[in-house]
Amino acid sequence: MLVNVNATRMELLRLKKRLNLAWRGHKLLKDKRDELMRQLLEVIDEVKELRLSIEKEFQSIVERFVLEKASIGSYQVEQELLLPVKKISVSISKRNIIGVHVPVYAKEVSGDIIPYGYMNTSGEMDIALNDFDKSIENLLDLAEKEKAVQLMAMEIEETRRRVNVLEYKLIPSIIETIRFITMKLDEIERSNTVRLMKVKDIVRSH
Amino acid sequence: MGTRIAAFGENDIMLIFKAVGIDVFPVTADIEETSEAGKKLKQLVREGYGIIFMTETIAIKLDQLIKEYADEILPSIVVIPGLGERNYYAVRNLRRAIIKAVGADIMAEERNRSK
Repeated sequence: MLVNVNATRMELLRLKKRLNLAWRGHKLLKDKRDELMRQLLEVIDEVKELRLSIEKEFQSIVERFVLEKASIGSYQVEQELLLPVKKISVSISKRNIIGVHVPVYAKEVSGDIIPYGYMNTSGEMDIALNDFDKSIENLLDLAEKEKAVQLMAMEIEETRRRVNVLEYKLIPSIIETIRFITMKLDEIERSNTVRLMKVKDIVRSH
Repeated sequence: MGTRIAAFGENDIMLIFKAVGIDVFPVTADIEETSEAGKKLKQLVREGYGIIFMTETIAIKLDQLIKEYADEILPSIVVIPGLGERNYYAVRNLRRAIIKAVGADIMAEERNRSK
């Protein structure tokens, strides 16, 4: 598609500059997209495995916990867990992966997971809680990585679109316009020469 | 910057999160309460919870809202399997993100295995 401009030498120069800029931007964005994709593929396997293993683990823990809760009585369990001793505090910092800000969690864990005396609960409950204690760090890890994947995926999509717009829309239309202007200018020049020749003919014939 | 952790879901599962000192917010997966849960989630985000654990059954109902938060650095919403039937919300969500980015489904083979 032609860009709507006047066919002048000024405009031609301007368009040539724009074309250069567009090429440069296109190349840079393409590099960015490729690098982001590489990074994403690197984490994606990790996330996949982590997610699947955690789901399996977590489900068995929850099942055990809920069964136990049913046998002890939910009121009792609630009471036992009323005042948790364990504390997890997470501080968030950002990491920059080629322009994508990704959160990094620093975990601080303190305290024991079992806040109750062993009097009114069963061993099954302890097992479930201890297992959960082990997997909670993995869960936080997963939170961090999944977020990173999501953010990177979004950025890749955006970059891909930009690259495509430049490649298939902006750059061709600028090239076409440049050709249009060059031809128009050439045409004007030719017609000028012809006119001059004509004038000379008339002058000579007198 | 410190952040707080919240867990969001059925009462039964929430207790186990409580044991590790995470703030819990029990909700039920009833249809009438979906909007209620949505409001709650928004409120949690506003209050500055950076990591939110959520069970699948709730997550699938709040899909719209979760997508809104997907492109923001906070909060990180982690979907965990709940009780009862699995719906693989998290795996599907992950797949969706990858399809968007790569333009092809590179997790297809993995999903078949997990089924």
